[in-house]
Parts: sequence; C-alpha cells; structure tokens
Amino acid sequence: MPENALDESQAGREATLLRATLENMSQGVAMYDAKHRLVTWNTLFCEYLDMPAEFLGTEHTFEDYIRYLGSRGEFGDVDIETALAKRVAQLDHSHSFERVRPDGTILEVRRDPVPGGGFIAIYTDITERKLAEMKLREDEEQLRAIDAAAPVGLLIMDVEKRAVRHANGCFGRLVGRDTRDLIDRPMAELFADPAKSAEMAELMLTPLAEGREFYLPRADGTEICTMVSHEPLEFRSTPAVIATFVDISDRVRMEQQLREAKEAAESASRVKSAFLANMSHELRTPLNAIIGYSEILAEDAADEGNTAMVADLDKIQGAGKHLLGLINDILDLSKIEAGRMDVYLEQVFLARMVEEVKTIVGPMMAKNENRFVIDCPKDIGTLRTDVTKLKQSLINLLSNAAKFTKQGEVALHLSRHESEDGGFIRFAVTDSGIGMTEEQLGRLFQAFTQADSSTTRNFGGTGLGLTITKHFAVMLGGNITVTSEPGKGSTFTIDLPVAREAEVAAELPEIDTGAVADPGAITVLVVDDDPAVHEVLTATLGKEGYVLRHARDGIEALNIMRTDPPDIVTLDVMMPKVDGWSVLGIMKSEPALEHIPVIMLTIVDDRNLGYSLGAAEYMTKPIDRQRLIALIHKFAPGDEHAVLVVDDDPHVRAMVRTTIEGVGLTAIEAANGREALEWLDRHPRPSLVLLDLMMPEMDGFTFLEQVRQRPDFADLPVVVLTAKELTEDERSFLARNTLLILSKSAQPIGTLGSALAAIAGQEKPARPVAK
Amino acid sequence: MAKILLVEDNEMNRDMLSRRLTRNGFEVIVAVNGREGVDLAVAQKPDLILMDMSLPVLDGWEATRQVKGNAETAAIPVIALTAHAMAQDREEAMAAGCDDFDTKPVEMPRLLSKINAFLAPG
Repeated sequence: MPENALDESQAGREATLLRATLENMSQGVAMYDAKHRLVTWNTLFCEYLDMPAEFLGTEHTFEDYIRYLGSRGEFGDVDIETALAKRVAQLDHSHSFERVRPDGTILEVRRDPVPGGGFIAIYTDITERKLAEMKLREDEEQLRAIDAAAPVGLLIMDVEKRAVRHANGCFGRLVGRDTRDLIDRPMAELFADPAKSAEMAELMLTPLAEGREFYLPRADGTEICTMVSHEPLEFRSTPAVIATFVDISDRVRMEQQLREAKEAAESASRVKSAFLANMSHELRTPLNAIIGYSEILAEDAADEGNTAMVADLDKIQGAGKHLLGLINDILDLSKIEAGRMDVYLEQVFLARMVEEVKTIVGPMMAKNENRFVIDCPKDIGTLRTDVTKLKQSLINLLSNAAKFTKQGEVALHLSRHESEDGGFIRFAVTDSGIGMTEEQLGRLFQAFTQADSSTTRNFGGTGLGLTITKHFAVMLGGNITVTSEPGKGSTFTIDLPVAREAEVAAELPEIDTGAVADPGAITVLVVDDDPAVHEVLTATLGKEGYVLRHARDGIEALNIMRTDPPDIVTLDVMMPKVDGWSVLGIMKSEPALEHIPVIMLTIVDDRNLGYSLGAAEYMTKPIDRQRLIALIHKFAPGDEHAVLVVDDDPHVRAMVRTTIEGVGLTAIEAANGREALEWLDRHPRPSLVLLDLMMPEMDGFTFLEQVRQRPDFADLPVVVLTAKELTEDERSFLARNTLLILSKSAQPIGTLGSALAAIAGQEKPARPVAK
Repeated sequence: MAKILLVEDNEMNRDMLSRRLTRNGFEVIVAVNGREGVDLAVAQKPDLILMDMSLPVLDGWEATRQVKGNAETAAIPVIALTAHAMAQDREEAMAAGCDDFDTKPVEMPRLLSKINAFLAPG
C-alpha cells in the first residue's frame, strides 16, 4: 500500500473516530474553518437548531446559517444583519450566551476559536436546569413573602447552637425589635430578662403538641400575650425548632371584658332578685292589713246579716289574695333567678299527692263547668322528689287548663315509664280548651309573657306560673313539654326521672314473719268468703306484726266480734248468708262493736253507701297492699302514754326514763334506729319518739328517713335530743322531719319533763276540735 | 278559756289578730317586742304563744329560745308567725324551738286549726 494510501486510510479512521465521538456527546457541536465554512457537526446540532439537511456541508458558511435562522425568527424581532454583525464580531474570542428558542427551549451557546483559524460552537439544552432554577427561585420568593406577610411570629432556633436562626418580620413587630438584631442571638440572651430567656429556651425544648399561652417581653418593657406552638424540623441540614407566636392579646382582652360584662349582668340580676324579694316582703305587710281587716269586716257584716257588704268585702279580700298570689309568684321567680330556691327531696306517695291536688283544683274546675278526670294507676307508687314544687307545678298547669277551658274536660294522667336507668314518671295535663298557635307556643315559658297580652285581661294570672313550673321541672331533674292546637286544646307534660336507689330504699324492710305476736299486738278481723283474700292479708299484715283473725261469712264475723272484739275489721260486701252491708249495719247498732273501725274491702264500688253506713274507709279490689297497710296503721289504736326513747347511751336512756315516768308516761327504750324501727313495726304507735342522732348500726338521720317513708308514720311526732353540732343541711333536714331539736348540752335532761309531757299530751294525730 | 300570748310589733297586725282570736273565743294578751313577750310568758303562763319573728329589742327566734330555755315556760307551745314564705325561715323558727309555723298574711281557719291542735285536751 503506497504511503499516501496509508495516510489517507489513517485520515479516514480519524474522521470516523471524530464523528463517533461527536455523536456520543450530549451537546450539539459544529466546527467551522477559517473561512467560516461548516466542516463538521453532529446530529444534536441539527436537532437543536432544526437545520435542514441541504444546509449542511462546506458549501454554507456561518453567515448563511445565521441569516437562515434569523429569517426563521429564531432571534426574535430583530434586524438580521445587526444580529449577524454582533455574532461575527465575537468570533475571535471564547464566549457563551443563553438563547431562548421560539419553541421555549433554552440553549446555552458557546463558541471558541480554534488554533489555525475557525471556531467550534457547542450547543447545550439547558431548558430543564433553567426551569428548575426558576421554580426554586419562585418557591423561595413565595416563602419569603409568606414569612414576611404572615400575621404570625415565626422563630427558627438551632437546637445544637441554642441560637436563633431566623425570625420573621411579624415576630420582630411582636417583640418590638429589628429582626436582624435577633438572628444568631443565643437563646439565653434573647430577652433582656434572663429568666424570660430561660423560660423561652425551656419551652422550645419541651415537646408541645398544642399551643399554650406565652407572654412575650417587648423592647419597651411591656409584655404581649401570645399563643405559642412549635415543632422540630431540619433547617439547612441542622436540627431546629420552628415556633409560631399568635398575638392573642385582643382575644384575652375581649374574654376579660366578656367575663366582666357577665359578672356585671349576674350581679345586676342578683341585686334585682334581692330587691324583688325585699319589695315582696314590703308589699306583704300592708296587704296583710288589707286582707285581714276586710276579713274581719266581712265576718262582722255576716253576723249583722248585711249581705250586700259581705259581697263587696269579699271582692276586696279576693283582690287582695290575687295580689298576694302575684307577689308570691314574683318572689318565687326572684328566688329561682337568685339561685336561692332549694330543693327538698322526700319520698312522695303519688296517689296521695294527686288527691291533695284534686282538693285544691276542684273548685277551679267547677268555676268554668269543666269535667276533671284523674287517671292515676293504683300502683303508681312513690317518687323521690320535692313534693311542694311538684304540687305547685301540677296546680299551675291544672289551674291554667281550667282557666282556658269552658264546659270542657281537663285531665291529669300519671304514668310510670320503666327503663334501665330507672325511667321516669309522666304527669300529663290535657285540656279541651282554646289551645295555642305555634307562635304562642314559642314564647310560652318566658317570664311575663302570656300567649297573648290580652290574655291577662281576659283570663287573669301573672304570666309567671309556667315560667316557675318550667324552672321547677328542671330543678327536679326533669323537663316540661307542650303540644297544642288552636281551638282543640293543649297538653302539658312533665317528666320526672326515677332514681334507682331511691326505689330500692322505698321498699319496706323485711321483717321475720314467724315471730310470735305479743299480747299487746293489734288484731285485725278479715271478713271475706274468698280464701285468697285471707292468704294475701295474712301475708301482708302478718309481716307488719298484726294478729289476724278470719271469718268466711257475716254470721261467723259477728260471732267472733261479740266474743273477742278485734281492733280493726276488713269487710267484704258480697258474701253468703249475711252480706257485708248487713254486718256493717249491725255493728254500728251495737254499742260494743260500733267503735271498731271497718275498712270495706270489696269489688262493689259504692263508697257513698259504705260511708253512710259508717265504714271508716273504702277500698276496692284488687287490693292495693301499700294503701291497706297504711290504713290499718292509721286505724290501729296508738299508745297515748308511750314515749319511745332511742339512744345508744344507757345512762341517757335511764335518765330520760326517770323524767318521762316522773310525768306519768311510759318509756320504751331502743338502743339504735334499727331497734326503734322494729319496735314500731310491732307495737301500737307511741305518742312521741325521743331521738338521739349519733348511734351505731342505724343513726337518727337514717331512722328519720326510713320512718318518714312510711305513710302511717309520716306524722309520728319526733323530738331530737342531741349533743351533735348540726350543719345547715342537717338542721334543715331535721326541721322538716321533727317537731323540735333539743341540745343535750344546752339543757339539763332533768328539766325536759314538763316539755315532754306537754308535747306527748298534745301531739296526737290531728283531729277536729269542738269549740 | 284558753289564753294566747300574741307577740307582734306591727300595730295593725296585732290589732287584727287579737280581735279575731278574741272573736274565736280566746283570751288574748299582747306584747310588742321579744323582751316583753318573754316576760309576759313567765308572768302570765299563757296556754300558747303566737310569735312574730322580726321583732324589736329581742327578735322572735331569740325570744323563743328563752321561752323554751326556761323550765317554767318550756312547755308552752310556740307558733312562729313570719311574713317570709321561705323554707329557711320555717327551719330557723323550728331550730329556735318553735313548735309550729304559719305564714302571714294569716289565714284564719288554718291558724285556728294549728292553735287547736296544741290546745286540744290531752
């Protein structure tokens, strides 16, 4: 191979190698010779510049390409020859620049002269890098804007150096300092007060999930209340804590103002209530005179037969009493609002309470010729509540119903609703009266508003009754609701919760039935042809300590009575041979039997006949055991000379016994409440119980609670004799449940004799006194 | 004839109540303050005392305590009369040793039944 050929092939290999190298570069490359003719290029060069194939090759110069690219608009809206001149002028030295192509890609163009003339141009696509840089810059600007504009103080602290890394403008404004003054400052010297700085440093190192209050010291020496929260973060690759401070001084100030306003309002309300209570008292005094003197005059006028004047005086009296009712209502409401209305809980026998309510509202019902219906299940039982408030609530509702109903019907329904938590008792008052619209219902329970302002004129009343009733229902743990339809009538419903433990407590204590009755025990003769009745009564009354005797018909009953008169008789009506009416009639005609109390116990509901024949009480079957027990207790003869002394100290008992016997009474001793209860169950009722409070096994308070739950002992006179210092609660409990509280320390027991004699002699079950 | 001591400082109330009690067949003696009431109770031994609670010189609670603290008069029943229809007044009266309690304005039938409950023959 000639040398030339060798050289040629050498040159060819080098050209191939160069080409391969160029093609493998990640940049566009173009080389020009001294005459600016394109001698070498790679594919990326063509791609980056969209260079058509016919333009490639030595027949075209750099100037041609620039003109071509310029004509395609690559350089924007510029004069092509100017652009070309600028580029050519730079070719004698290395230079680079960035160019944005019309399609948005960004090229970095670098041109370097090569030895021996000519130059090389290298094109790099830097679009991605540029975009990333731009994005970073934008993010940073955004963060800076947020940092500057945030209405929250931001502080970034270096955990290792214990120094401030960053504080934003808001933080600077919060503390009244230049943020530049804060950067790099050690935490320990952040504030002028070292204690405050230490507190801050401490705060930052304690994990704080939720915000807490922090008083930031300001440059002017004041403090600003902030809510601070912080969390750890990496700040420029070092562990840091970022803390945010929110200015809550406005909120704190507002809360303070609200609190003050609320206190002022409450204080005003208390003052108002106290004023009302005092006013009510002041109003009562002259009213007292008005009512009293008009009553005296009415009595005088009645004596003289001056009926015209009696009518007028009755009007004065009526108006006075109405005014008194208003004052009482206002007094009640002011007490409720002043928080001075107390609740006294006791075991209430609902059926009995309903009877009392009936007596009171009866005349109101009659006034508008309304029919009054009571629907109260016989076994409704008891409820632990404040009987005065419950009664007042029901009377309020019933008197309203009576007022707004004419020649219609007013009904009171009681029902027990059981549930796991004890359930509730529902008292529903339904009337067929004028009813109310939705709008009237809306303001029904507000003070001083009746459904219609003309209502007061037409129907009377204070407009306070329902407000008070609602307060009472809530105070008793329940609620009141109402449904109504204009022209059809209304239903007011009070639901009062039943507490489980109270129900358990209401159950009568179990007493051994097998006990032999004492000779002094009370005998009950059961007259009935139904053996089941004998069984039930034996079980029920035997448990109470009574001795039972049994008769299957009237003849047998009369025989037993004549030979050994019982203390009490229960009498069925429909029996073979001689019926109950006849037995009753015969008993009342025989002097030896006429004083024996007879309780009619029958399915025949003819009370009037029973009472007219002289029955003491009338019960219809099925037998209501509780009521029967209460009645038997009621008619059981009491022991007028017995005083039950309940005290654990035998010396006190002995001393009291001497005193009691000294005035001609009998003393029975019990060492604690339980013994006293057991004795009461089996013996005639004593005239008085003298009760110590602090005793083992069952103390005086528990004894009183239990004894008062028994209807037959509800009015058993009890005098407390105690050495105990009483609390307010105890005193009020005793005041409700006893006649008198005597202090062992204040009075020598020996001097009690005459007082006890007087009380024991007088405190017998209330009976009418003939003048 | 049962003798009732009425302790009441308000002239109208005293006048009214004494007239009405007299009309109902009681002998009535009156005291205008607590001190006079205690003294009259000792001197006259009434069968029953009607005691207003807000009294000058010696109030009704203290007067009752003194009546009940004196063996000579301890057995005389005391009925408290007060214009406050408040449970706490009732309790205070009872705690002072009153045997019963009634609210003013007095309702005559109610008061009479309370008086009679105490004066009924043993």
